[in-house]
Amino acid sequence: MDIAAQLPMLLGLAWLAPLASFVAILFFGPRMGSHGRNAAWVATAAIVTSLVLSLFAAGTWLGAHPVQAVHHGDGHHGESHAAEPAGHGGHSTGHGEAQVPVAYAGDWYTLYQAGGLKLSIGWYVDALTVLMFVVVTFIATCIHVYASGYMHDELHDVTDHEVHLSGGGHLHRPGRFPRFFQALSLFCFSMLGIVIAGNLAMVFIFWELVGICSWFLIGFYYERTSASTAANKAFIVNRVGDFGMLIGLMALWGALGTLHFADTPADAAGAARPGLFSLVRPAAEGHALRVPDGMVKFAAAAEVAKTPMAEVAGKIDGWRSMGLGRWLLFVAGVGIFCGCVGKSAQFPLFVWLPDAMEGPTPVSALVHSATMVAAGVYLVGRFYPVLTPDVLLVIAYVGAITLFIAATIALVANDIKRVLAYSTVSQLGYMMLALGVGGWSAGLFHLVTHAFFKSLLFLCSGSVIHACHTNDMRKMGGLARIMPWTAGTMLVGCLAIIGAGVPFVIGLSGYYSKDAILAQALSFAQANPSHSILYAAVAGGAFLTAFYMFRLWFMTFAGAPRDHHVADHAHESPAVMVAPLVVLSVLAVAAGWTLPGGFGLANLLEQSRPAGTAEGMTGGFAFGSLVFPAEHLSHEGAIHVTATLTAFTTALAGVVLAALMYLVNIISPAVVATVFKPVYAFLAGRWYFDELYHALFVVPVLGIAKLASGTDRGVIDRFIDGVAWTARQLAGIDAWIDRTLVDGLVNATATATWNAGLELKKLQTGHLRQYVMFIVVGTVALFVIASLLFRTTIAG
Amino acid sequence: MTGCLMLAAVNFHTLLFYLFALLACGFAVGVVVADNVVRMALYLVLSLGATAGLFFLAGAEFIGAMQLMIYVGGTLVLLVFGVMLTAQAPFVTIKTSPGDRVLAGVVAASLLALLLQAAFSVEAWRRPGLGEVAQPAATPIGVALVGVRVDEPPAGTPPGVRSGYLLPFEIVSIHLLVVLVGAAYLARAKRRRTQRAIDVAASVQSLVEPVVEVPRQARGSASALATGGTR
Amino acid sequence: MSGMLGIGVAIAGPVFAAADGVSVAHYLVVGAILFTAGIVCMAVKRNALGVLMGIELVLNGANVNFIAFASPYLRGQGAVSLGIDGQVIALFVILLAAAEAAVALAITLNFYNNHSTVDVDRADDLKG
Repeated sequence: MDIAAQLPMLLGLAWLAPLASFVAILFFGPRMGSHGRNAAWVATAAIVTSLVLSLFAAGTWLGAHPVQAVHHGDGHHGESHAAEPAGHGGHSTGHGEAQVPVAYAGDWYTLYQAGGLKLSIGWYVDALTVLMFVVVTFIATCIHVYASGYMHDELHDVTDHEVHLSGGGHLHRPGRFPRFFQALSLFCFSMLGIVIAGNLAMVFIFWELVGICSWFLIGFYYERTSASTAANKAFIVNRVGDFGMLIGLMALWGALGTLHFADTPADAAGAARPGLFSLVRPAAEGHALRVPDGMVKFAAAAEVAKTPMAEVAGKIDGWRSMGLGRWLLFVAGVGIFCGCVGKSAQFPLFVWLPDAMEGPTPVSALVHSATMVAAGVYLVGRFYPVLTPDVLLVIAYVGAITLFIAATIALVANDIKRVLAYSTVSQLGYMMLALGVGGWSAGLFHLVTHAFFKSLLFLCSGSVIHACHTNDMRKMGGLARIMPWTAGTMLVGCLAIIGAGVPFVIGLSGYYSKDAILAQALSFAQANPSHSILYAAVAGGAFLTAFYMFRLWFMTFAGAPRDHHVADHAHESPAVMVAPLVVLSVLAVAAGWTLPGGFGLANLLEQSRPAGTAEGMTGGFAFGSLVFPAEHLSHEGAIHVTATLTAFTTALAGVVLAALMYLVNIISPAVVATVFKPVYAFLAGRWYFDELYHALFVVPVLGIAKLASGTDRGVIDRFIDGVAWTARQLAGIDAWIDRTLVDGLVNATATATWNAGLELKKLQTGHLRQYVMFIVVGTVALFVIASLLFRTTIAG
Repeated sequence: MTGCLMLAAVNFHTLLFYLFALLACGFAVGVVVADNVVRMALYLVLSLGATAGLFFLAGAEFIGAMQLMIYVGGTLVLLVFGVMLTAQAPFVTIKTSPGDRVLAGVVAASLLALLLQAAFSVEAWRRPGLGEVAQPAATPIGVALVGVRVDEPPAGTPPGVRSGYLLPFEIVSIHLLVVLVGAAYLARAKRRRTQRAIDVAASVQSLVEPVVEVPRQARGSASALATGGTR
Repeated sequence: MSGMLGIGVAIAGPVFAAADGVSVAHYLVVGAILFTAGIVCMAVKRNALGVLMGIELVLNGANVNFIAFASPYLRGQGAVSLGIDGQVIALFVILLAAAEAAVALAITLNFYNNHSTVDVDRADDLKG
């Protein structure tokens, strides 16, 4: 079987394995072992199967497309590459050559096909897909193992102390162990569906499915109002983003008639149809971005109507140069990005992620740090070829704002999981910013490394919470002695996230990815000086990240215990929970390294770099002309040096400040808080976004609802009641008429008849002589009448 | 002498008519006026006898004869028997209230007026008659009763076969037979007296005494009736 | 006696002989009087037998009428009369009157046996 058929089969099976686990646990969960404890094994087995299959697929891929080293930093451009001997081996990103990534695309099943529109379940497999499969399944496996230990409370009846019943007392409920793994399996299936999707419609389907799984998982402890509210908030805020995504989908489908990424080859069903990438970056134009014909025609609909059909094709270029259709492409890009804003918790739709910490910690680790929130970044990365410079600038700014807001809130948060949640939001802002300034590889690189160390950090925090039975960092302290493994792995995670390393030599995984982002941001700022603030945001963000992450570590693990009750009961977590921590910390350290020979994340990503994006872009109409430097330029020369030094200094400054405040307590946090009281209050109030949204959206909706219900009760119900009352009155009148008049009439008739009968009865006296009299009188009367009426003579 | 002359000038038909008419009407009025039921019976006999005479004068001598034989000699005799059987003292004269009699008189007068008016209304009926009898009617009647018509049809009747009276004759025969049987049954001797009769007899005794002087033999017979006994 | 009779006839004769002759109308008058007398009898008499007598009078009045119409001699020259038909009808009336009188008498005697009275005013059990 050739690779084009093998990869979809392997990845398809890897995709469906968690679905099988979901179905099995759905129907047989409670019967799997006592209280369903074996459901964890079933789910874990499924995800391990997925991991194995993904590794096989990766192996197959690497066998067919070995990862080549990409040359940086030698300052050679252009001709030097072209002149190099073939021994260079393979391809490298070169100027003047339009580089098309190797990708396999196809459809498994067509749901609906009519005319030019085709909805199908299919795949688009390139290096990024394989990489994401491995990452997602690997982290999911770690989480599954961790959760099988963490969720042991659900194996017996649970008394939930956070639920207060109306009669006083706490909720007592049976455990829901299988259900957790059921939802987790469904989530893995949905996430892998997004990764493998070959068209935007399929992405959207699994987008929503992932949202539902997130809802299930956040609201796992659904009897707690806080948990159920948080689940609803997550889903609704995501829905707001999806609204924009639908607009983008409509723009694409309506104007271009297809949602597939790659071209559909000609087959029995129809002719070859180009996909989105080919439409927006045609090979004939060297894969440069331009407004596709369909959108031009759509925008010039009035003109098209006036032009005879044969001449339309010739006029398209003219219309395109007039600028027709570029707004539609802009809307399409921004629309799809809206979905990512919702899913990846960017400004302004980030308010759901901190509340999502109501779910169990494994959920936070898997869904809300490593995978689901990464789906937005992944989609931007996948959809990158279609994004115009204006859209990319919007993405960059959104990322920058998000980065800054979330980092500042994390400075003053006291709940350990909240800090990590805001950290996630901030890092996602990093990724979006990276993608927005043209750093396609940097952004996705950071996505992968972030997945490792953020899930590690969450699992460690889960371990701490499990030991201390509290999330509040103010009650922790000095746990390093009690929980050495947790402390150590968490330290690794913190170092990874701040990008610690020896500059220019070696570093943890975050060092490389953060470096790449900073470099690209600097390159962009230099090319577009008016947008220098983006670089400042990145640098400032690095400082803040370092500060709050080490604040977290020092408050939790260093110093003396603040609450002796907590410290006395704390203990190290069992091996089943510590093992994933160790595994993930190894990856958090090593994921960024490039092995001799070229195998590494960065080079693997380069294999799937979209066609035409290697050279950078210029363009843009909405925000002035923009220059997106080519990414490989940021790996060379001055930019690289400046970026690395900036990253190192800012991170060091952050760690030092955190140590001063929380380790050696030279600067007192309380004093700082008092001195900067308004700032502190603002940050502690989380920038009052929840209150703002409440006032902007919730209150008017409630007002409208109250108005509607008031109208319904006061006007409509009253009207109906009035109608009913009128009907009753009319009925009363009718009843009266019926009783008095109709019945009366009938009764009167009957009575009259009866009385007449009674009176006539008196004629029947029984006296014979009177009867004779009557006969005679009657005869006489008849004769008189007859003689009066008939005047003829009878006898002749 | 002059009597014979006068007799010759007298229209005996008319004279006899008026005689018989006066007798019939007079005795009929007598029936009405009389209180005693026995006297009523006598007057009726005489009235109907006079009527037979009228029949003879009108040329229906067969009918007249039948009137005398059947009606007077049969029916009225039967009526007299009835009178005799029931002529107990309290029932011989039963008076009607004067009011009833006046009312009846008024109504009858109106009826009479009506009938007289009808009688004189048709011109053809007022033309004087021939005053003679020529053909006997017995034979035609008798033969008609067996179905053969031998009389001349009156002028103006449409041509065609005229039916005889065989069927009515037979019907009447059966009718009389039925009446015979029925009457015999109705008036049969009863085995015992009904309770009602006893009660009525008792009540009659109580009622009749203050109203009418009951002669002893009547009381005795009433009590004989009351105590029962077959007839 | 014969003289008186003669005188009576002498007086009455011319008086009546002065009339043109007896017509149907004369008979009808007689019939009417008999009929009316019978009606009065039926209406006034409380004795059941008196009522029966009234019935006989009524029937006779009708018979007189029939005979009058049946006679060809009362109508003048060449007039049309009922002829034999009228007489036959009168005959049947007589026969049926006899039958009816028999039955009526049987009823009356039955009534007399049960109620010990022939007063028709007592026979009011069928009052309404």
